[in-house]
Amino acid sequence: MKKVFTFDQDQCCACGCCVVACTDQNDIDLRCGDIPFRKTFDDEFATADGHYSAYISAACMHCVDAPCITACPVGCISKDPETGFTIYDNTNCIGCKSCAMACPFGAPRYRHSDGKMVKCDGCNERVKAGLRPACVKACPFGALDCVDEEEYLASGSNKACNVLIHNLDLRF
Amino acid sequence: MTDLEKKIKAKIPGEDTGIEVKHAMCSICSPGMHCGVDCYVKDGRIIKVEGMESHPWSKGKICVKGQSGRDYVYREDRIKTPLKRVGARGEGKFEPISWDEAIAMIAENLNKVKAEYGPESVMFLSGYCKWYRPWLHRMAHVFGTPNFGTDDCNCSAAMVVANKCTSGTGGGADFGKCNTFFGWNYDGYYSNHMNVASVKGVKKRGGKVIIIDIRETPAVKNLADIFVQINPGTDGALALGMANEIIKNGWEDKEYVEKYTHGFAQYKALCAEYDLDKVEAITGVSKDMIKELARLYACEGPTACNYSASALVHHINGFNAHRAVLCLSALTGNFDRAGGQVPVPVTYLHKSAGFSTREAEFRSSADPRKTNPDCKRILGADRFPLWEEKFDETQTMDLLHQLTTDEPYPIRAIYAHGMNVKMYPESDNLARAMAEKLDFFVLTDLFMTYTAKWADLVLPACSSFERSEIKCYAGGYAVFTEPVIQPLYESRSDVDIIYDVYHALGLKDELMDLGYEGSIDWMFDGCGTCVSELKNGHNMPLKVPNAKWPVAPGKQLENGFKTPTGKFEFYSESIAKVDKKYGLDPLPVYYDSLADEPDPEGRYPYYLCTGARLSISLHSRVHEVPYLRQLRKHPMCEVNMEDMKALGLKDGDDVVLYSPHGEITVKVHGTFKIKPGVILMLHGYTEANVNLLEGRDHLDPYSGYPGHKGMRCNIRKEVK
Repeated sequence: MKKVFTFDQDQCCACGCCVVACTDQNDIDLRCGDIPFRKTFDDEFATADGHYSAYISAACMHCVDAPCITACPVGCISKDPETGFTIYDNTNCIGCKSCAMACPFGAPRYRHSDGKMVKCDGCNERVKAGLRPACVKACPFGALDCVDEEEYLASGSNKACNVLIHNLDLRF
Repeated sequence: MTDLEKKIKAKIPGEDTGIEVKHAMCSICSPGMHCGVDCYVKDGRIIKVEGMESHPWSKGKICVKGQSGRDYVYREDRIKTPLKRVGARGEGKFEPISWDEAIAMIAENLNKVKAEYGPESVMFLSGYCKWYRPWLHRMAHVFGTPNFGTDDCNCSAAMVVANKCTSGTGGGADFGKCNTFFGWNYDGYYSNHMNVASVKGVKKRGGKVIIIDIRETPAVKNLADIFVQINPGTDGALALGMANEIIKNGWEDKEYVEKYTHGFAQYKALCAEYDLDKVEAITGVSKDMIKELARLYACEGPTACNYSASALVHHINGFNAHRAVLCLSALTGNFDRAGGQVPVPVTYLHKSAGFSTREAEFRSSADPRKTNPDCKRILGADRFPLWEEKFDETQTMDLLHQLTTDEPYPIRAIYAHGMNVKMYPESDNLARAMAEKLDFFVLTDLFMTYTAKWADLVLPACSSFERSEIKCYAGGYAVFTEPVIQPLYESRSDVDIIYDVYHALGLKDELMDLGYEGSIDWMFDGCGTCVSELKNGHNMPLKVPNAKWPVAPGKQLENGFKTPTGKFEFYSESIAKVDKKYGLDPLPVYYDSLADEPDPEGRYPYYLCTGARLSISLHSRVHEVPYLRQLRKHPMCEVNMEDMKALGLKDGDDVVLYSPHGEITVKVHGTFKIKPGVILMLHGYTEANVNLLEGRDHLDPYSGYPGHKGMRCNIRKEVK
């Protein structure tokens, strides 16, 4: 069953639970400068009649037509046929960062410890084991979710992450 | 990678991966929370945490601090062994010693000070966390000193005392039945992730949510129908102004006021001084809005209100501000009524669970002030008599004063768990006074903190994942937790340390001698269960047989309020009894929150509010946790965009915040979320401790609480 990450910005406060859960799940080595795959934004914008506060959580959008897949010269990145997540096997990664450059959101990260690229894989193994992605499980306010594609399409929601990001015109 | 390797990397629990999920309890923040946590454990080490879905109270939710539990437990600055000072005090040079040597050293030094100066010259202090306090409290009393103090001298308890002087008890917002919710200083998302859903529930029912705050928080964006951005430190004036409107329009609940309250005539006369023009000028809230707030509170009820543990009482006028806000509830007949404020008595250690325990008796039945006619008054009593009367702990904000003057008697030793001098005004001066005046200072903590560096002896405590404790939860639950990993290094449970010290001091007390689990059974006697039953091997809170939940409102109305008059006291008879020389008013009068430090030349034109909550911090407890530090790398103040422009500042600049008492250098961030003239700064950073800017006498005369959230300061760009 293919999965869709959804995000409801009206429930978010950028508390960072999702970021810390990602750090914890993926053993991100903060000391050597690595950063987790998910990021929160607590931004303010001046508007015509005042200001707007944006609280956002974002990570890999798991694009249907992911440009990182074709950008990788050694074929590390692929789609998981079951979940639809953009997954990777970086055994052959040469650390060229082409995937990060091809990604409109800069989602793939360079890992300092071994010079290889890493990225959000939607917690693919957890989802296959019947668990929720670490970030989704961690959200105490119901802002982040990960649902079956069919369920998402039937709901008529427009909260899929990749849709929202375009609406907000945000970039990493 | 094999399938098994993939599963191990993804931390999938199972026999094949050797990863076991164990239930535990987070105790990073206040004991009012303490959510259930699932620890993923492999080879005796925690490799991941997440919220415990099956926990009956927290239901799988944890905040970002709890989500950092693994990084917290394995912090690099965990104290590994008992450490004895070898350098000068404050230098931070220590050498490891054995537990036996350490305990003997404590007993020898405390008994020496007791023999030389008297038992009152020894203080027993506690900061976070709080779970061992009944035993530390009793040990202090059995030792012979009344001087047991905690962070309650600085957090939350001023509200408790204000409640005692007004309504006798506190009252929680009845989210389930209110029609209007006044989120007075309510920020939910940052400080109470568990009740955001309750406020959403009010909205879902069609109820109105009003948020009154100095800052536009996520709660304002996501929850508020009406946001009232009030001038900081003026909440008391707004409450009196609203009361005046309510009375003028005849909207008060006349029957309730007549039957259940005391001092209405005097209160009405006080409110009459707060007309719309005056209140608008003080609070910055428009006259129309004040009228609308009064109407909503009184006419769109039942109305429940948020009472914050620190937002109001951290002003030198905060004790009265809280009383003024509380009075609205009785004026409109909402106190102790469904949909308004429901008094829910505390069961054990700040948690209400629908049954009573003998915690208070365990703590205080050996109080030397009751048993020894020669016992001196508790520290702070002379300056804060209301505190002495209403709260069985030192007002430790007076410690610096007493150390430096030796009046009314000298303090020469401190035995502390989790003491944090950064929470005191003039923190560095306090640390230096301790270094100069104390014969002995021993501190137990998890981490090598700023305060620990000033100690003669430092002892390693373990976290809630490494020990046992008793815990109650709303809904009528209790659990006796068991460790999910062995204590790291040579660290130990605080209670085990306290018992070792108790025995080494040569003390004898019937209740203490029951031991840890035995004394819990004594305190919980009659609840229908006991420690051996609550230890279920799964750290799963169980229903307590004799707990009655939910707690129904109406008991005070039926049986009388726990005040001298048995009524809700607009005019507090407890305060009226205090010697007139202290100038305390029995009515919730308003005065300026900066009144004690006049600045006629305008040298410090900014209003500094410290410690307004953010998700990533709790005092100084998690600033050094890398998982959390990544979310805000530098100590940073927030300044309104207009002020940024006027000061020529841009985001990320280094600025100096300064007052007559001290200065710190921090990064600056521009925001629309606060009014011009206001500066916000998180407290607790060692490298930028904002309490250095606060004077030792900037205290609320009623409670002794420091005005952390309202003081003068100025700001300048750091020139390198």
